[in-house]
Amino acid sequence: MPVTAPPRPRTAGRNWIIAFIFVAGATWSIAGLDVTLARLLGAPADAWNILHRMFPPAFNEVYQRGVVGKVFESVYIAWIGTIIGAVVSLPLAFLAATNVSPRWIRTPIRQIFNAVRAVPELILAVILIPITGLGPWAGALAIGIHSVGTLGKWACEAIENSDHGPVEAVEACGGVWVSGMRWGVLPQVMPVITSYWLFRFEINVRASAVLGMIGAGGVGAELVSQLVFRNFPAVGAVLAITVAVVLSIDALSAFVRRRIITGGGPTKNRNQEATADLTGLKY
Amino acid sequence: MTVPESGRPTRPRLKPRTFLIAGLVLLFTIYSGRQVGFTITTFWEVWSNPLWEKFWPVPWEWVLDRHNVINPLIETFQIAIISTLIGCGLALPISFIISPLTTPNKPTYLVAKGIMNVVRAVPDLFWAKLLVTAVGIGAFAGSWALSIFSLAVMVKLFSETVDSADPRPLEAARAAGGRHTPAVRTGVLPTVFPSYVAYSLYVFELNIRASIVLGLVGAGGIGRVVEAQRQYFRFDRVLGILLIIFVIVIVIEQISVALRKRLV
Repeated sequence: MPVTAPPRPRTAGRNWIIAFIFVAGATWSIAGLDVTLARLLGAPADAWNILHRMFPPAFNEVYQRGVVGKVFESVYIAWIGTIIGAVVSLPLAFLAATNVSPRWIRTPIRQIFNAVRAVPELILAVILIPITGLGPWAGALAIGIHSVGTLGKWACEAIENSDHGPVEAVEACGGVWVSGMRWGVLPQVMPVITSYWLFRFEINVRASAVLGMIGAGGVGAELVSQLVFRNFPAVGAVLAITVAVVLSIDALSAFVRRRIITGGGPTKNRNQEATADLTGLKY
Repeated sequence: MTVPESGRPTRPRLKPRTFLIAGLVLLFTIYSGRQVGFTITTFWEVWSNPLWEKFWPVPWEWVLDRHNVINPLIETFQIAIISTLIGCGLALPISFIISPLTTPNKPTYLVAKGIMNVVRAVPDLFWAKLLVTAVGIGAFAGSWALSIFSLAVMVKLFSETVDSADPRPLEAARAAGGRHTPAVRTGVLPTVFPSYVAYSLYVFELNIRASIVLGLVGAGGIGRVVEAQRQYFRFDRVLGILLIIFVIVIVIEQISVALRKRLV
């Protein structure tokens, strides 16, 4: 019997269309961004030049300017923002969940979550800074408002995935809606929701570092001022401290989240589940 | 048969450790609150501030003028498109390198993974500001910054998909004598490609949001206009731009979610 290769699947026509869309998009974008070949080829050298001048980082100078305190101010901003987000979003999430809330309440609340999520923290901060004045409070409030949207959505999904049995049991005992939520749903969803709060805190630490760049408190302002003076060793040190703090908080928070979810037992791959929750994608 | 005496089950007791943790969290919250300048009355002060009036009414004829808002907005889209293409394109090989399943060798794996972790720990606008200093103010710096950032995010998301891919086709390809690259291409790539496309769409969505704010640090796009009007204290114009941004972000999110649902 002659051996032949299996026929190749034919998707050629569609692939050409997709390829054309990609090329057209890229061309249109490059044309609009005044990219010249000289600039394109010069950029890596420019970037390398700056990176090169950051070494050795001037940790001493930066330490004396109190940058470590500024990094922690970013962490405090992120924490307060997360707390505001958590406290406001938790009751709203119960009102937004399909299985425990009537339609006329949950639809507007879901729209609020979606609307709040669509506005980036920095844009919120731009609005809030004239009102609150420059400083960490503007940043904390901006992060808090933005977190309400994401945390509300995640918590709402956790509630929708909860088992309805305990709620029925509470109702059968004559419990009102609030007792059903408190004793039937909350104990089930609290571990997942707490881990979402911590996950959001990790994201918020990065966001609050950035918020400093437009004057909302934290380490961003320090980075901007050192870059303006082109004091690159100090820039290197600020970046190194920020990265170190961000990575340690990520690691610490990931550890706590793992403990909350698996209770210190054999570990599952929470990372993937979190990614799936975050992006709404399944593997 | 006798019914047990007590009508109610005993209340579960809280462990002392729970109180300790709750106390520590509370203390940290109070301390950070003081550092940030948070008091309950500040909420009221925010809402009762007379400055809110400066945000209204929105000057629509200024906002809808082509040169003021629409052109920078197009620039924002261009930044997002090009950096999604560059970032996600580069992320494909790098993700295969930093997944234990498909990595060519251990040293490459460790080096690449370490670099990607550090790159991801630097927030997006820090990259933008650094590159503005390096290559000059404008959309060019913004595209670079966003390319780096979307590369980092994409590698994180996609390499985890590669980790959990089915190893059997890869084994089959190797057993048939395939070299590393063709084995990965035929054994792993087809199974993870739909996730790759779905994640790319998600990254594009992130990039649209990020490119809006890039201009606040001088890296081009609509943020540049927001920053300028903010410095002129024209908050009514700022609000108008923000409303337009808001609508666009929501529309793009809806399209992207619909596409991703069809893909996965």
